[in-house]
Amino acid sequence: MPVKVKNVSFSYLVKTPNEVKALDDVSFEIKDNSITTIIGHTGSGKSTIIQLFNALMVPSSGEIEVDDFVITSNPKKNKRIKELRRHIASIFQFPEYQLFEETVEKDVAFGLKNYGMKEPEAIEKAHKALKLVGLDETFYKRSPFELSGGEKRRVAIAGILVLNPDILIMDEPTAGLDPAGTKIVLDLIQSLHNQGKTIILVTHDMNVVLNYATDVIALKNGKVSFDGKPSNLFELSSEDLALEVPPLYAFSKMLYDKGIKVDIENIRTLDDLLNQLKGMKHE
Amino acid sequence: MNNITFGRYTTYNTFVHRLDPRNKIMMMILLVVAIFFKVDSWSSTLIMSVALLIFLNIIMLISKVSFISLFKSLKAMWILIIFLLIVYIFLPNAAYNPDHIAFYIGTYGVNYDAFYQCGYIILRIMMMLMITMILTSSTSPMNLTYGLEWYMAPLKLVKFPTHIVAMTLSIALRFIPTLLDETDRIIKAQSSRGVDFQRGGLIKKFSAIISLIIPLFVSAINRSEELSNAMEARGYDPYGQRSKYRVLKFRWIDLIAFIIVLAVFGGILTLFIWDMNIGSVDLIYWIFGAKPLF
Repeated sequence: MPVKVKNVSFSYLVKTPNEVKALDDVSFEIKDNSITTIIGHTGSGKSTIIQLFNALMVPSSGEIEVDDFVITSNPKKNKRIKELRRHIASIFQFPEYQLFEETVEKDVAFGLKNYGMKEPEAIEKAHKALKLVGLDETFYKRSPFELSGGEKRRVAIAGILVLNPDILIMDEPTAGLDPAGTKIVLDLIQSLHNQGKTIILVTHDMNVVLNYATDVIALKNGKVSFDGKPSNLFELSSEDLALEVPPLYAFSKMLYDKGIKVDIENIRTLDDLLNQLKGMKHE
Repeated sequence: MNNITFGRYTTYNTFVHRLDPRNKIMMMILLVVAIFFKVDSWSSTLIMSVALLIFLNIIMLISKVSFISLFKSLKAMWILIIFLLIVYIFLPNAAYNPDHIAFYIGTYGVNYDAFYQCGYIILRIMMMLMITMILTSSTSPMNLTYGLEWYMAPLKLVKFPTHIVAMTLSIALRFIPTLLDETDRIIKAQSSRGVDFQRGGLIKKFSAIISLIIPLFVSAINRSEELSNAMEARGYDPYGQRSKYRVLKFRWIDLIAFIIVLAVFGGILTLFIWDMNIGSVDLIYWIFGAKPLF
């Protein structure tokens, strides 16, 4: 079941002189098993919309449907919030701030214990989640506070993955990570996608959008300015949305314009381009 | 978390906002002292309170302090109010007139005076809240610390590090909103891990709080370490001679404001001394020639 956003508006600091309208009558749909990236400039409402998905905030007006859960503007009508948050979990920017337990495995298991799972079983699941993010058994008994930044990030991500949500929201999961850490996180996103999960990804990195996204939603001043496929986005790019075009896309486009008719729609990675070029040589 | 708005600095540019912070601190002290002058007679008290209340309301209107946040903070004090009421009703008090019995709880007579005393103390607490709200919402934390630093200047003679205290204070004030934002963020992050901060038993609540407090401490300590490094990198020396970017100036509007406050203070003081020396002069009787109510 997809996530449906219907005519949602949201304002911060309501009824004060500093009232800010962060979202203005926004409607869109996030398809099942998609990697939907939400892009936009600072203050465009990206971070606001993802906090509405799992009812951390409620919309000022409009409603959001997540499977059979409905989030409306009336907080009292929103039932089964805890259940909802297990179904659609979110990983915030710099999630390493949420770590607090004595050991890595306990911290990862914390979420499951909140949902009533017994400790031994939770720890066992925690080990599996840690393996997913590429941390082996040498990390299990260490304190999360003595790890490096990238390792902390991965522990925090494992702490959400352990809940096994069907829809995963990630807010700039690669911000501040080194290239190796970035690759681990992005590969993880791809493998979760292959397992049939829906990923909602907030990012600034257009390379990530080109390489991984199946759908893109661009926000501008609290309104949807684009909703579609990544390749279509870059076609109209620069003028309308003022986004940076990924070098790979720009290069492919240049080849196309110079007469080398590559199939731009299907170029997601450098390998795709190379394979297409190899195929041409034989023709 | 954003509902903690009590006394938050507002960036208006009113008459009160433009005053010298040192002046504002002194005026605040004068007014708080004026509030706590206590006279015996019922009607003098009424006149003093009403005069102060009107005066404070006018300043609140001028400085655009929101009345809503005042009432919100009063609403938050309901436990204190109930506690005070219980204390005033059940503690024997020599000042109560034994004839003023309102009703009986069992055989214990509840005195009218208990309600009067309790109402009076709540009124004074409310006025004190008003004064502090006017000060903090019309003075930026920075200016407030500069003002305090100025008052601490005599302590320099006994080698008291006034500058360090002022700097610590201003940094602490500066980081309150940051820490509130941080708390908000951690609450949201832990909520997505299934922590329920609103419901649950005592043990559940305790573990929820732990999951909030520890990350908050860790990030606060990290922040302070980064800040101290940044300050040292820019050559900060607490014992060095520093010049000020913002120089506080006592201007003619300060003088006017001070004279007004002094007049109010003087009026209350006169009433107080009158009441002390000449005895319970009933002002209503004195002014209108009517019979005293009590």
